[in-house]
Amino acid sequence: MSAIMPLLRGVYGVWLREVTRATRDRGQMIGGVSRPLIWLLILGVGLNPYFRGEVYGEVRYVIPYTYLQFLFPAVIVLNIMYTSIQFAVSVIWDREFGFLREVLVSPMPKPLVLLGKVLGGSTVATLHGAVVLILARFADVTMTPEQVVTALAFMFLLSFGLTCFGVILAARVRSFEGFGVFSNTLILPLYFTSSSVFPLDPALSRTQTTASYPEWLVFLVQINPITYAVDTLRGVLIGFNQFTPSYGPVIVVGMAIVFFVLALVDFGRS
Amino acid sequence: MSTRRPHRWLRAAANLALIAALLFAVSFLPPDTSLKARQEAGVLKLCVPPSYPPLVTGDPEEPGFDIELAQHIAQSIGVRLIVNALPSIGRDFNPRNWQLSRAQCDMIAGGLTDTLQTRGFLQTIPTSAETGWVALAPQGKLPSPGAAAAVLPGSSGLDRLALSSWLRAQGLRPILVSSPDELVRALTEGRAQVGFTERFAASSITSLPPDITLSWLSAQDLPRYGMALGLWKGDQTLMRAVRAAMEALKQSGTLDKLRERYGLAGVLPEQGSL
Repeated sequence: MSAIMPLLRGVYGVWLREVTRATRDRGQMIGGVSRPLIWLLILGVGLNPYFRGEVYGEVRYVIPYTYLQFLFPAVIVLNIMYTSIQFAVSVIWDREFGFLREVLVSPMPKPLVLLGKVLGGSTVATLHGAVVLILARFADVTMTPEQVVTALAFMFLLSFGLTCFGVILAARVRSFEGFGVFSNTLILPLYFTSSSVFPLDPALSRTQTTASYPEWLVFLVQINPITYAVDTLRGVLIGFNQFTPSYGPVIVVGMAIVFFVLALVDFGRS
Repeated sequence: MSTRRPHRWLRAAANLALIAALLFAVSFLPPDTSLKARQEAGVLKLCVPPSYPPLVTGDPEEPGFDIELAQHIAQSIGVRLIVNALPSIGRDFNPRNWQLSRAQCDMIAGGLTDTLQTRGFLQTIPTSAETGWVALAPQGKLPSPGAAAAVLPGSSGLDRLALSSWLRAQGLRPILVSSPDELVRALTEGRAQVGFTERFAASSITSLPPDITLSWLSAQDLPRYGMALGLWKGDQTLMRAVRAAMEALKQSGTLDKLRERYGLAGVLPEQGSL
């Protein structure tokens, strides 16, 4: 027990550093607010007239929710994705400026250093996802306390997996400039192909779906793990699933485990 | 002399509070102009079928539960209610052929079931009325397999296939009838030993034989649905105003009085419980 406590204190110390650094950084916090404002207020409200009903019975947008309600859980995932993956910047920063070297020569085992960092990044990413919940009233999403708790737990799990993914990326990027490429070539394509902004009607068969969308797009949506994360959060927050509800939690837990192991391997090499 | 250091979480808490306050303030922005447009026009257009008692009666003295409810809502929003009674409603199985457009209707009522299918096209606000399949049977008991059953499908969009499967499972022989009067005739003339129809279609029957009792069919086999007012998807601000008006009517007891007045408060017995 006496041997574990100093290690846990070490994990807490690394976690605390990540959280305080991120929450004190006003620029990062503004980023966390501007995304939901742009996506929900501008895109959601801007496209709302194109998704609203005009003739009763006319099939234009058959999802039993409004476009804003449909978009709301996806914006939470977007905020988490940006914060988690950009966490890699903090790893690169620590590597460039020597903090990582200092921590790594401490008696703390490397896996625990990584755990502290990842838990810190996950906490911040969950926080960024949680602030979007404040806009629930705007999107007309009503939530019970149980729904909020379930959503937060799932958001943390997703944040953990994606933060580990950020660490894996950081191991492969040598400069801050290089990381900018990842934001645009990873986050946005993953987000747009996760059925976040357009629905694949679950009532339609695959043949019918591919009549509405090209097969390659349907394929990309179906192989994208973020699709199932967005779908699970939709299930929790608005009670709507496009895919089998159990897929999301299984995929996200699998993602968290696999990415943590890979991050551990990469971190061990650093 | 020492200066006190601010608490380590103070700056973080200040940032978070600032963000929360900003987002909270933004959440009060109106997402559309639907309510403003109705208030500027001064009218709320309600589309209903010409008759769907007791929700729509066509009687100016007692116009129906849905009409009076909509009148209270319109009053609360500060607009005048215009009722468009459209014979096309319920005439066809596919609601697209009812030709209800945004230009004609702001709100749709009079037999709208609150189902997933309806919510694919409209936003619904439950009115606390409930519908489902009911049986009209002597002493409330189903006849033996092989007996004839008069079926009046009604127009509320209930699952007719589910009723048809259930009838087959019970071994009953369905005879389709086209009006409440024909249903009564089939029962009194002995052409059918039991009748099945939708709850509100049944409640419009005034000349029910004395031994015939009305009862719900099992909700497990044939689900019941709440009735609702329908608004166009995307009319968020109007929906919020209607929802708030409904809540106020519930709180003031007006909704219960209306339910009482139109006989919606009475509880039907379950089939087999008689």
